[in-house]
Amino acid sequence: MSELLRVTDLAVSYGSVPAVDGVSLTIEPGELRVILGANGAGKTTIIKTLLGLLRPRAGQIRLDGQTDLLRLRPHEIHRLGIAWVPEGRQLWNTLTVVDNLRLGGFAEPDKALVDRRIAAMFERFPRLRERQDQIAGSLSGGEQQMVAIARALISAPRLLLMDEPSLGLAPKVVRDVFGLVREINKMGIAILMVEQNARQALRVANWAYLLETGQIVESGQADEIGRKESVQAVFLGGHA
Amino acid sequence: MELFLQQLANGLVIGSTYSVVAIGFALAFTVLRVINFAHPDIFMVGMFAGLAATAQWPAFGLLVAMVAGAAGAGVVGFVLERTVIAPLRGRDVLMTLIGTLGVAIVLQNGMALIVGPDPVAYPALLPRRFIDIGPVALTVRQVANFAICLLLLGLVSLYVRGTSYGRATRAIAERPDVAAAFGVNVARICQITILLASMMAGVAAVSVGMLYGSASAFVGLLYGLKAFICMLVAGNRYFEGVMVVGLAIGIIEALVTGYLSSSLRDAAAFFVLIGVLYFRPNGLFGSYNA
Repeated sequence: MSELLRVTDLAVSYGSVPAVDGVSLTIEPGELRVILGANGAGKTTIIKTLLGLLRPRAGQIRLDGQTDLLRLRPHEIHRLGIAWVPEGRQLWNTLTVVDNLRLGGFAEPDKALVDRRIAAMFERFPRLRERQDQIAGSLSGGEQQMVAIARALISAPRLLLMDEPSLGLAPKVVRDVFGLVREINKMGIAILMVEQNARQALRVANWAYLLETGQIVESGQADEIGRKESVQAVFLGGHA
Repeated sequence: MELFLQQLANGLVIGSTYSVVAIGFALAFTVLRVINFAHPDIFMVGMFAGLAATAQWPAFGLLVAMVAGAAGAGVVGFVLERTVIAPLRGRDVLMTLIGTLGVAIVLQNGMALIVGPDPVAYPALLPRRFIDIGPVALTVRQVANFAICLLLLGLVSLYVRGTSYGRATRAIAERPDVAAAFGVNVARICQITILLASMMAGVAAVSVGMLYGSASAFVGLLYGLKAFICMLVAGNRYFEGVMVVGLAIGIIEALVTGYLSSSLRDAAAFFVLIGVLYFRPNGLFGSYNA
């Protein structure tokens, strides 16, 4: 299979403080890969660098084995089919739900197509249809996460970058979100997810990377990674 | 009661001008993250561009003056964005602040060099007639000024709420990174935003020049100060909030003039500012980053 995204020896620093130090990873079309790591391990930094929002100190990011993403600006990267579910949702809280979704399709010139996709999202999430004219900031955490995911899907991406989709949500909602992640992946959309909730993430992913202080210390099939003692000790509370 | 209604109407007329200038400040501040100290002087350039156009084509009057005002102010605003604001983007806020302040000084004194430091007469453009609305009497020019400004405010509101670029503008105001990652070309929207803010200010400047029959190279300061206060009082979360506060400040000034003393008029806005910020530091309608 031809690879969708290849990251090679990525290094990102904030000033003189290294956040990501020599990370390499790949993802193939339709795959669901997860990067596990604790707070401050560099997970969000990797995502933001892929989106073009941070400039790396060194390394390469290639899409489809050819396009050099480091030469592009964020809006150009998005137009290649990469969408984002940011950490903590980051909706436009002063805009209505439906305007958030419309902005998800900002880059799509065919606005009738965007409207059809929004209608399809409302079909999938009836709650959002009811609340489409409310400002997004007034929704519950779980509803906001639905908006964040729907917003990312409106552009019909090939690759979805999900930054801790379970963060700050009630346990029941977390299960819904991971179910949704699996559902999106089944639609053929490749997903690169970063998570702290290792147990749930390993259940849906087919490949996992372990990130510690900016470096990948383990990688492998998700179920194998889940059985490793080191992983169980750190992420799964010692009893998986 | 009659005095009250009359001053209410007078206040709305001048308040609508404050609103238009204040929206320009608010757009630059929320979208480009810059306190554009040159904005009041872009307003002033628009006023003189309109004046020059009416001297050139006296037959076409108000319309040609407004088009010229918008064009003159728009060009200055666009060049300012390209040469000062965009290159300093991402640097310390203080740098763009000093940059736009420098441009403001150049514009004021440059214009004073051309037209002289004293106020010059502005062409009448509209007939000197009164219109009676119930107990209230307004001049045609006052009514025209209010209508023009209200139209501009309505168009801005329509733009930011009803169009794709307008929504992107609000998206940048709230979360620039997320907007960029969803395909919004932030640099392009910034250019459009400054152009829009400047052109509106140019039109409003022509209208206010006609209203008072005079123009001056230093006219920007007064409107700029009031407009800046409007933005601070409203907070930057909702553009419509800034509009409402502009109208309110105009009304308060007119009432102070009518019931207290015209010498207290310019102090009124500052009292409002101090009062509001004491109780609501983020402005009446809230601010981003709060």
